[in-house]
Amino acid sequence: MWKRDEKKPVVGIFGFSGCAGDQLAILHMEDSTVDFFTSADIKFFHMAQSHQEVPEVDVAVIEGSINTERQLKELKEIREMAGVVVALGTCACYGGIQYLGDDEETFKERMKYVYGKSGETPEFLDLVGQPKPAQPISDFIDVDIMIPGCPVSEENFVPIYTKLISGLLPQKYPMPVCVECKYEGNDCFLLHGKFCLGPVTAAGCNATCPSLDISCVGCFGTYEGANYPSMIDKLKEIGLSEEDAIRKLKMFGGNKVEQALKGD
Amino acid sequence: MKTYKMPKNVFPDFIELIKTKGKLFGPVKQKSKYSFEEIKNLQELDFDYQRTIMGVKKFLTPPKYKTLTFDKEGTKDIIDEPETNIVIGVHPCDIHAVKILDRLFLGNIKDPYYASKRENLIIIGHSCLPDDKCLCQSTGTDMVEDGFDLFLTELADNYLVWVGSDKGLSLTIAAGELLTEEISDEDIQEYVRWQQKRSSMFKTVMPSFKYMADIITLNYDSEAWEQFGEKCLSCGTCSLVCPTCNCFNVDDKILMNAEGGFRERMLDSCTLPYYSMVAGDHDFRPDRTTRLKLYYTHKLKEYIGRWGQPGCVGCGRCVTYCPVDINVITVSEALFGEVCETKEVCE
Ligand code: SF4
Ligand code: SF4
Ligand code: SF4
Ligand code: SF4
Repeated sequence: MWKRDEKKPVVGIFGFSGCAGDQLAILHMEDSTVDFFTSADIKFFHMAQSHQEVPEVDVAVIEGSINTERQLKELKEIREMAGVVVALGTCACYGGIQYLGDDEETFKERMKYVYGKSGETPEFLDLVGQPKPAQPISDFIDVDIMIPGCPVSEENFVPIYTKLISGLLPQKYPMPVCVECKYEGNDCFLLHGKFCLGPVTAAGCNATCPSLDISCVGCFGTYEGANYPSMIDKLKEIGLSEEDAIRKLKMFGGNKVEQALKGD
Repeated sequence: MKTYKMPKNVFPDFIELIKTKGKLFGPVKQKSKYSFEEIKNLQELDFDYQRTIMGVKKFLTPPKYKTLTFDKEGTKDIIDEPETNIVIGVHPCDIHAVKILDRLFLGNIKDPYYASKRENLIIIGHSCLPDDKCLCQSTGTDMVEDGFDLFLTELADNYLVWVGSDKGLSLTIAAGELLTEEISDEDIQEYVRWQQKRSSMFKTVMPSFKYMADIITLNYDSEAWEQFGEKCLSCGTCSLVCPTCNCFNVDDKILMNAEGGFRERMLDSCTLPYYSMVAGDHDFRPDRTTRLKLYYTHKLKEYIGRWGQPGCVGCGRCVTYCPVDINVITVSEALFGEVCETKEVCE
């Protein structure tokens, strides 16, 4: 019979660039929040605890994208001391909404546009180091498990996390939002000439938006089986320009969409 | 099989009676689609429909459900409480689909979860008229002789009520005076005329369907698969809405307290990327083309080899719901058309 180790695993919840919504989502689980703090030894939780030093963790849960050198250094340190690394939320997994896929030059242009001639952030903002284009954590370190979502849903996060703290391997089975959309018994926007990114978006939200009669904009990030060329054709068929279609795909699809469109 | 007649004006009383026997579900219009939903009042029932988004499988092998719970003490099966569900308005194709599911889940190895759901389901069929997406005439599932408890054929002023099981018979006994055994010659004529009209209404007739299994075998390396594979979004819709598709996945989920959890079953689809992945990360069907080929070869060829009948009952759901027009009609036509062209066998 299933029984986990007596010793509770040590867990750290770390946050980089993002809205911190995924950390908040954990605190927001209400019925399960107390269990969250008792089922594992939470040694570090950016949002919930004042700073603590941790020499090593069994499970590191990392939120947010990386966009300064200092973050990159910290990220690598976390990888060094962690047994398992989990990317939490669409920003950590794919770069998130702040991922623009810019090269250095274009990025500098943008900085100038926002911060004036020098293109440097004012000194008082330089707490975390000068910014560079946002990138998902997997661009820099090995990530063992991805739990996308903007923010992550309890239903998606808990079963994966509880397996990890029980020393078990979570099941990896990529599905698009459309599967959950059909579980919910919804009709399909695409059949009525309306926009929807369900077929290229990772499931996990229980098809929240289509079930409320709102199109999916892809906030759970990319679905591993996504067929972008066919999706773009479909979006063109319902009246989007190719440019608009790609822009919409990139909004939450981050580096994965970028790579797919380049044919990598 | 006994047959009765029920005047339409007593139908509301019949529904009231049925509702005393269990929870009643039937076709309900929801904006742009129909769905089998619980019927609270008669006005919600809408028999003027072609297809619901999900077939009767939603009652028998639901999209997602718990099959057991576990904790430190052990495991506990969750087999449904014996509550009777009654679904009314089921078309012949969907009844055939249930017969296929029964064969799979109640064969040599009985699935206890399915069995208890099936035992507690009463199916009341209803006659229908086809649209251009219905192909049940070609799949040979436009008529039903069994697989239902009662079947209602709608005529101008009456229903003909066909009894298909002991449970159905009990319902007719309970219905008492609402039904009569007196079916006149005019009624029979009206019924025959109605059947003839229905038969002539099928716009999608595919004679090639009868030997599609052979076409698939002979044209196994068809280029059509590649073309469909390029378009397919791997979205899973086709198999989720198909009333005979029944593959499921199982996952054990641990609760946040890490002291217990539950086992969950959810509908799967062979169009999804890891469907054919086995231990050691070996994936037999890593691309969309081979996965679609599996879907259609299984449905239109393997089923026939095993049971003498395709796994498609012609309900037209894949025809309606695939966003990129890959469905049993377009696939069959492409495979057949290709044979025609290259082998010069057709006119
Ligand atoms: S509405 Fe969107 S999510 Fe739902 S099936 Fe259609 S494309 Fe997929
Ligand atoms: S339906 Fe799409 S946009 Fe809405 S929550 Fe789910 S993934 Fe995000
Ligand atoms: S293959 Fe299509 S038409 Fe045939 S039973 Fe399935 S959904 Fe209906
Ligand atoms: S519904 Fe169409 S696009 Fe989606 S998996 Fe099936 S064949 Fe592919």
